[in-house]
Amino acid sequence: MAPCFTILVADDNRLNRTIMAKTLSKEGYRIVTADSGLEARKIAEKDPPDLILLDICMPGESGFDVIKHFKSHASTASIPVIFLTALSDVDSKVEGFNLGAVDYITKPCNHQELSARVRLHLKLSIATNSLINSQAEKLRQLTEAQASFLITPGQEPGAQFGVHYMALHEAGGDFYDVLHISDDIYGYFVADFSGHDISTGYLTSSVKGLLNQNCNQIYTPMESMNLINGVLVEILPTEKYLTACYARLNRRKGIMDIVFSGHPPVCYVPKKAPPRLVGADGDPMGIFKNAIFGVTALTVSEGDRIYIYTDGLVESPSTKRIWCSGTDKMLDACDRARCLPVRQAPQFVSHCLCPNRETQEDDMVILAMEV
Amino acid sequence: MDLKSIGEDLGLDEAEFLEIVELFIDTATADIDRLKAALSQGDILAINEAAHSLKGSSGNLGFMEIYHHSQEIEEATREEVLTRIGPILAAISKGIETIESALNTKAT
Repeated sequence: MAPCFTILVADDNRLNRTIMAKTLSKEGYRIVTADSGLEARKIAEKDPPDLILLDICMPGESGFDVIKHFKSHASTASIPVIFLTALSDVDSKVEGFNLGAVDYITKPCNHQELSARVRLHLKLSIATNSLINSQAEKLRQLTEAQASFLITPGQEPGAQFGVHYMALHEAGGDFYDVLHISDDIYGYFVADFSGHDISTGYLTSSVKGLLNQNCNQIYTPMESMNLINGVLVEILPTEKYLTACYARLNRRKGIMDIVFSGHPPVCYVPKKAPPRLVGADGDPMGIFKNAIFGVTALTVSEGDRIYIYTDGLVESPSTKRIWCSGTDKMLDACDRARCLPVRQAPQFVSHCLCPNRETQEDDMVILAMEV
Repeated sequence: MDLKSIGEDLGLDEAEFLEIVELFIDTATADIDRLKAALSQGDILAINEAAHSLKGSSGNLGFMEIYHHSQEIEEATREEVLTRIGPILAAISKGIETIESALNTKAT
């Protein structure tokens, strides 16, 4: 049997409710009725209907009050609401639409018009939901594909790294990679694409390919980034760019070369000294052909750790927190994470800086490696 | 008054419509009682609410004469000329009686 659509009729006038219920039940809909705004809210929250017919003028909570509530709650926000009104003034209609109503019916309503409008908006709702489900499925596939690009510490144990990656949306704008360049040389790359749209998700695969082609022992890290930038300038859409940090660790020499491309400083935690920030100014990648990147070299010892992270971890647009104030907490958290294995340290640091996942405002990645 | 034809216009069969008309008479009588009480107290807001309710239910059932009279009462409250309401109310009561009589004829 095809699914039966449920319609909530909210009207304080019993007669109106009865007429609408009889008219619509003849069309095969399941009808539930509410005689007040409060009751309509309770019913819709408990058992969300497929469509709501809502009277504007009701004692207590008006239809306007009720729709505001519906539209601000996830369980009822997407239910189409049609206003029932004896008011024919334009202001009421405009207010209804502004509050999220899909249509209005002026009372006294013609039963054929009522049925036609209900049918129309149920059809539109089905089409919208179908589109949303289809897009959600595509995003899910993209999320899976993106996750498959992201290397795990178990896949490259020699790199001695840990990572914590949290995408705000299905298609994350942050990206990281760890490259096995030779026995004692590893590359660690963290990037943040501008925007969180779908195209960002696809671009990460391009960057991964470019890293594999250009990060080797022949090129210096700066040369590798210049080569990658040259390609990105050609392939990235207008106004799309990325900030990045590429660190190449030579364990035998005890040297870490780090290239900064508009990226926050890294947190260097020497085994026997307090943590400190190490950074350098640099242009973002993908905008200028002759971009200038910042570069620095660290002399490192066994047991030292370096954390590379994206700005989502230390910045907050809503609280106007910028990285220079957020990094104080970062230093403290990295210091406290010394006692943890490197694989667990990023998650600990992330939790210290952003304890509540629900308040996350941007993608974030934090990658730690141990010398 | 041809109740069967009005019911058909609403897409309802006769039995269903008669049931609704019965309900209408109950609610309309209650609205008229509220109107009278509010009028005697000069309570403009209560008059307006009762007239609005009566207008909605009569309009939905296609009793357009009562619908227009209710609308006149709403206008009178907006203009705060309550003296106009008494005669309109009498016309509404008469209209209800006509409907009731048509309903009783069908019932017998």
